[in-house]
Amino acid sequence: MRFELFVAARYLRARRRQAVVGLITVISVVGVAAGVAALIIALAITNGMRRDLQQRLVGSTAHVQLMRTAGDGISHWRPLMARLAAVPHVTAVAPGLYGQVLISRGARSGGALIKGIVPADEATVGNLLQSVNEGSAAELAPNTSTVAAGSQLAPPLVIGHELALTLGAEVGDSLLVTSPQGELTPLGLVPRYQRFRVVGIFSSGFYQYDDGYAFMRLTDAQRLFSEPDLVSVISFKIDDLYKAEQVGKAIEAAAGPGFQTTNWMEQNRELFRAMKLEQDVTFIVLALIVVVAALNILIALTMMVMEKTRDIAVMMSFGVTAEQVRKIFLLQGLLISAVGTVLGLVLGYVVSIVGSHYRFIALDASVYSIDYLPFAPRLVDALVVAGVSLGMSLLATIYPSSSAASVLPAEALRYE
Amino acid sequence: MTPVLRAVALEKTYAPLAAGGVGLRLFEDLSLEVAAGEMVAVVGESGAGKSSLLHLLAALDRPTSGEVWCGETNVTRLNARQAGEYRNREIGYVWQFHYLLPEFTALENVAMPLLSRGARRGVALEEAARWLQRVGLGDRGEHRSGELSGGEQQRLSIARALITKPKLLLADEPTGDLDGATAERVFELLQELHRENALASVLVTHNLEFAGRCDRVLRLKAGRLAVA
Ligand SMILES: Nc1ncnc2c1ncn2[C@@H]1O[C@H](COP(=O)(O)OP(=O)(O)O)[C@@H](O)[C@H]1O
Ligand SMILES: [Mg+2]
Repeated sequence: MRFELFVAARYLRARRRQAVVGLITVISVVGVAAGVAALIIALAITNGMRRDLQQRLVGSTAHVQLMRTAGDGISHWRPLMARLAAVPHVTAVAPGLYGQVLISRGARSGGALIKGIVPADEATVGNLLQSVNEGSAAELAPNTSTVAAGSQLAPPLVIGHELALTLGAEVGDSLLVTSPQGELTPLGLVPRYQRFRVVGIFSSGFYQYDDGYAFMRLTDAQRLFSEPDLVSVISFKIDDLYKAEQVGKAIEAAAGPGFQTTNWMEQNRELFRAMKLEQDVTFIVLALIVVVAALNILIALTMMVMEKTRDIAVMMSFGVTAEQVRKIFLLQGLLISAVGTVLGLVLGYVVSIVGSHYRFIALDASVYSIDYLPFAPRLVDALVVAGVSLGMSLLATIYPSSSAASVLPAEALRYE
Repeated sequence: MTPVLRAVALEKTYAPLAAGGVGLRLFEDLSLEVAAGEMVAVVGESGAGKSSLLHLLAALDRPTSGEVWCGETNVTRLNARQAGEYRNREIGYVWQFHYLLPEFTALENVAMPLLSRGARRGVALEEAARWLQRVGLGDRGEHRSGELSGGEQQRLSIARALITKPKLLLADEPTGDLDGATAERVFELLQELHRENALASVLVTHNLEFAGRCDRVLRLKAGRLAVA
């Protein structure tokens, strides 16, 4: 192997008799480097995007949610919450009563998922209420008085920015909240409705939340849905995002029969699957650059073999075997690829690291919901990309190295 | 005394170029024995098959029938790897052209056959330096082959052929490309090294004067070797 490497390295370094072979060799190295760098940068960006989205997504919602399998509500929720707070990895617990409603203002209306909450608890499991940027969520606290200046004020409601646009609602406006879970009256099932007062509008950057969520006090929700003192969901924050599945199981076990959990991964499965698909497609498209570079290697080596046919025959005449000749050309391909790959990795990581540091590529925040391009270079990407690059190049060397190995010395050395 | 090299009833037929054509029968029942210390000259017209004969002797090509023996080894039976080893250990080959590898220095070129068999670089280069000295090019080790004269290049290729201490030297018109005085010195060097190393040598040449200075002269004609 030492001999083969010695010859291969010398062949690559030496000035070529045919300049075009040297040129193609340089182009091959540059091509591999460009492909590898492009892959590393693209993967860093898609990772950055996903990480960023995930952080914001996971920050705004609970990691694990517990509910009754039968959907009948959790009645003794205070002792249960206290017990579940002790489950390992659980860092915060919050109660919630959720229900689908219709919110209307005059002729305009929109559906929403009501979350009846205790703000102090809710803040520990999700930060949607921190993104209130018109009005304030403070009035959702349980003990705020709704009696002001002698007149009864409607109970407080916080809605999302998009829903507010749909309704044309502003802070201070009065909204009619209608629950389809109506009351049984002599006239049949009559929907319950109640007036609420907009005290805050939140804007999380996630359309599905900003358009679909509304927060009210837990007690108001219980009254609206005609429920006694029960909740429908207990939300959890845990210390390791990626243990959501296991912790969920532990919580189910601790809660006893009749309970089930979901987690953030399940709830956002489609989104993450779509992002993974996008990343895979990006990878394949950019890997084409590496394929083209590998084709360059194939051409460079094929021309090299033609140029070196007589030298190969001479080497065979002093005992170099066909296998050794094959290795000489195989190593040349791998050396070209290795140099290109290392250059590409360095370039890719420098751009990614500088990019993540200086945030030099600006984005339109109203479109992307972040105002810079995030880079999250990962080590595993380097391994995958280097593997792909070297693998392609290895394939590209098969033909030229075999044709080098099949040189017939008696033919190549016949002097006319 | 058993000969170092023995070719027995060699026949070589090249397949016809076109279907239905006649193949070229180069050798017919050709036999040759060369003993250690013996230098045999082979002469013959251009196209008689002298180079082809050396290729068969060096296992660079296979005879259609017949055998080549080197000592106790039946060379015609060797597989590709063994044939490589045979050429590396037993044979020194010199051509009309030096066929030095242009990317390597004179020293590296001479060391090549040792390097290719896996010898340590230091050891191989040291031995190569000794051989450079021996062929009178001790001070040209770092030169590329292109920077040397024709005679010097041929001396280098002789050093490369003999660095592995082979038993057999096959030289195919080694002075064919050199002018008179240079050719004379290269031929003298070959003869000296032949004697020093007690080689069995086959020298293909067009120079009848050189041929006459060998131990035997054989003429290749009509597919057979005959005493000239
Ligand atoms: N592979 C081959 N196919 C057909 N003919 C060949 C082949 N190799 C050599 N020959 C022919 O064999 C003859 C002998 O060639 P060669 O050994 O080079 O002769 P010399 O060295 O005596 O001049 C030539 O006529 C050449 O054309
Ligand atoms: Mg010839």
